[in-house]
Amino acid sequence: MISNLITMNGYGIFVWSSFVITFLVCGLVYYKTRKTLKKYEKEFAKEIEELTTQQRKTVLRNSKIASEILASYNKTI
Amino acid sequence: MLNFFHNSYIFFLIEKLINFINSIFFILLLIALSFALVFSPPDYLQGESVRIMYVHVPAAWISLASFSCIAILSILNFIFKIKNLKLITKSIAPIGLMFTCIAIVTGSIWGRPTWGTFWAWDARITSMVIMALFYLVLIVIYKFFDEDDKANKISSIIAVIGLINIPIIKYSVEWWSTLHQPASIKITGTSTIHSSMLTPLMLMFFVLILYCALIFLMKYKTEIIRIKKKNLKRYDQ
Repeated sequence: MISNLITMNGYGIFVWSSFVITFLVCGLVYYKTRKTLKKYEKEFAKEIEELTTQQRKTVLRNSKIASEILASYNKTI
Repeated sequence: MLNFFHNSYIFFLIEKLINFINSIFFILLLIALSFALVFSPPDYLQGESVRIMYVHVPAAWISLASFSCIAILSILNFIFKIKNLKLITKSIAPIGLMFTCIAIVTGSIWGRPTWGTFWAWDARITSMVIMALFYLVLIVIYKFFDEDDKANKISSIIAVIGLINIPIIKYSVEWWSTLHQPASIKITGTSTIHSSMLTPLMLMFFVLILYCALIFLMKYKTEIIRIKKKNLKRYDQ
């Protein structure tokens, strides 16, 4: 049965290569997208931390997103 | 109600959706793959090679849907100038390009055992390649034009021109004599595909749609952070 699943009556090379290419590309795009997102989150959190205390307070008060990103960044480090 | 469209609300919603999709994705993927590779029957004519359909067809559907979506949102953005729409189209374009390429490559692999060749300048394949080029142009515009208004105008025009290609792709198999067979699945009318093949096809489509949603949400979130980062520079000055 396993041998049948691999060879697929001679079509295995076509079927498996299609599935492998599709999921390999999907995996790579997922990895790259996630990496970019994390990079932006990190840079953003760092820029907030570099602000003066007064500026930081103003930013965090005005932007829920900023405080959320900072909180999640602090959780990961 | 207006609160619903606010960036901060959308941001929290994105976070929840990403977590939800991540939690169910791999289970659904395993189920879909089992159906596509093991439980579904071989075709009476094409044999086991028909299984390529389970990645090729959903990829082609997604690429067409993504471009239609981009074109419609670009027109709306051009008229109403809603900033979020630009972020959405910018996030969809790379997903559309990826699935167009997957559809072309898997189609080419499927062509070898079915037609005896990897490539033919068939009407549908050619129009799909043209769509990939439109996606590429859109991505280049989003990436290299700093002026938002200019990028918006040019990308909207490109998307509208590209929209003409969508019915050409859809009806190319009926308008010209091509190697592709006519559609087996019809939204209006009776589908000519057996349920034992339709089930894995729909499962794979659903899984790939979930994947698209995941990538889209992460890209959209990145765009929101990029804007917030830009706004943060005001405090530095």
